[in-house]
Amino acid sequence: MIDFAATTPFRLVRRLAAAGQGAPSVYLLVCEAAAVDAVRADIAAEVEVQLGFNLRSLAASQVQPERLEDAFKSETVWPVVLVTLDRWLPRLVDSLDRNIVLLTRTGMVLLLASHEIAERALAAGPNLRNRLTDVLLIKPDEAFGDARA
Amino acid sequence: MEIDLRSNTAAFDRRQVYRPFLERLNPIASIRDLADRDLIVPRDHDPRDAAQPPIHAAFADAAELNRGTQMALVGGIGSGKTTELLLTQRVLSRHSDALNIFVDLANYTDLNELHTGAILATVGLQLYWHLKKAKKEPPEEVTSAHTKLRELALGKTVLVPVEHWQGYEEREEAVRVEVPGLMRLRFPALRREVREVKDLLQSIASPLLENDAQITLLIDGLDRLIRPERFREYAEQDLQALRGTKMTVIVVAPLLLWYDKSRFLLDYFDLVKHIPAAAADPGDSAFLRQILERRGALELMDRAELTSVAKYSGGVLRDLLTLARSAAEYAYRDDQDRIGRKHVWAAIKQLGKRYLAGLGTSHRFCLRRLAVNKEFPIEDSTARELLVNRQVLEYFSRGREFFAVHPALAKVLPKRP
Repeated sequence: MIDFAATTPFRLVRRLAAAGQGAPSVYLLVCEAAAVDAVRADIAAEVEVQLGFNLRSLAASQVQPERLEDAFKSETVWPVVLVTLDRWLPRLVDSLDRNIVLLTRTGMVLLLASHEIAERALAAGPNLRNRLTDVLLIKPDEAFGDARA
Repeated sequence: MEIDLRSNTAAFDRRQVYRPFLERLNPIASIRDLADRDLIVPRDHDPRDAAQPPIHAAFADAAELNRGTQMALVGGIGSGKTTELLLTQRVLSRHSDALNIFVDLANYTDLNELHTGAILATVGLQLYWHLKKAKKEPPEEVTSAHTKLRELALGKTVLVPVEHWQGYEEREEAVRVEVPGLMRLRFPALRREVREVKDLLQSIASPLLENDAQITLLIDGLDRLIRPERFREYAEQDLQALRGTKMTVIVVAPLLLWYDKSRFLLDYFDLVKHIPAAAADPGDSAFLRQILERRGALELMDRAELTSVAKYSGGVLRDLLTLARSAAEYAYRDDQDRIGRKHVWAAIKQLGKRYLAGLGTSHRFCLRRLAVNKEFPIEDSTARELLVNRQVLEYFSRGREFFAVHPALAKVLPKRP
């Protein structure tokens, strides 16, 4: 298991806020499979509190590889889209890789995956890997005991 | 309370220092925005030959002197291919009759479902849009060709009476049988639908070509097909269809084609340019340093740190920006006013780990073999994967091509495979 730099939903969203809305970014967030739901809920809450709008959250199995533009269309001034790679979907990863410019134009895209799926996605998506803003290990806020102040 | 206020003010000031720097270093920022802000450093010569003009100048000269020339640009992911295309487009714009169509195909069509003829159709639709934008009402035959092209490109809905539809299969009276000919054509014949789209495209382009306009199509995105055979399919159909039309093509091709035994790139295209990783010794590369300096790196880091960033980028331009940006973020989070050595090292390790992900035993063995014995069997599928993924970089120096493990990956690669 690779020990990427660690973060929490609170710190991640603070980072997005600091970068500002003019900065497109694509993050791959790696977490324990058991913590995926908690992390997703925490990110949604932080986006609402720190950025002031609702997170667009999708499961990868809901995204049609041939209709990526639907998944990444921007509905808000400052879109943040979270896609949970809930299982290994090689066609979807292939599609994300080939059509990577759709992601980089969206605004902020967060891909959330377990260690195993994240490694497979990185190996299968050379264009995606090269354009990622960062790969971060993410844990629910309470796991870090983050001070919210 | 007073102390809090002071520390907040300090934090605020530092944010004002770092934020513009981070914005200038975004590795996935729009190339056009960067060019408009004068943040692009053009190369001053061909990356493989210091005696030759830079790629964008060579492409522009060829497009201006030989209308209908077909050119290919090949290079690894993040090597600066899109930037070279944009620079070419800007050079070509020096003539008022130049019509330059720059398309990233992913913006117009799903690259997973790309069919032959789709590139021609995209170009045709773009040409028509340019004609309309020029505020000249296109002739009737051009408008009619555009209408047909839209139908072919985007599809249409037709109403078929139920009785005609039912039993359609049974009414087939003949079975299609391919009878091989005596000759194996060097490039296969154009498919019917490709010929049809080509004719429509030519009709749309005819008012411009009749006035001797210089039309150049700059096509980005096909390199993301990765597999050479997929690219070749489009070249043999869509690009071949453009031969003889006096429309010039500059297309970005996958890196693996450069190493393809068939020599397709050199056989098919009139001019091929390769962008290797930016310098045989990235630590000494003035070009890489200039890129960082243009984006304000010296305001936040010393020359030693700047040199480390250049060196461990391996000469991959996107990695250069990623490293500088990541180091700046580490420094900011560390409450420092400048990027220090430890921040650069943290960024290098983080980038190295990104390249470490997904490596199996065979990959590690291949990397070790390259690092220790300088052996890299490019025909091997594992080696090719490593090259495509930029875990191995291709360099060119003094007339010799060679490979090396990405320096950031080498830094974190375990000693034993």
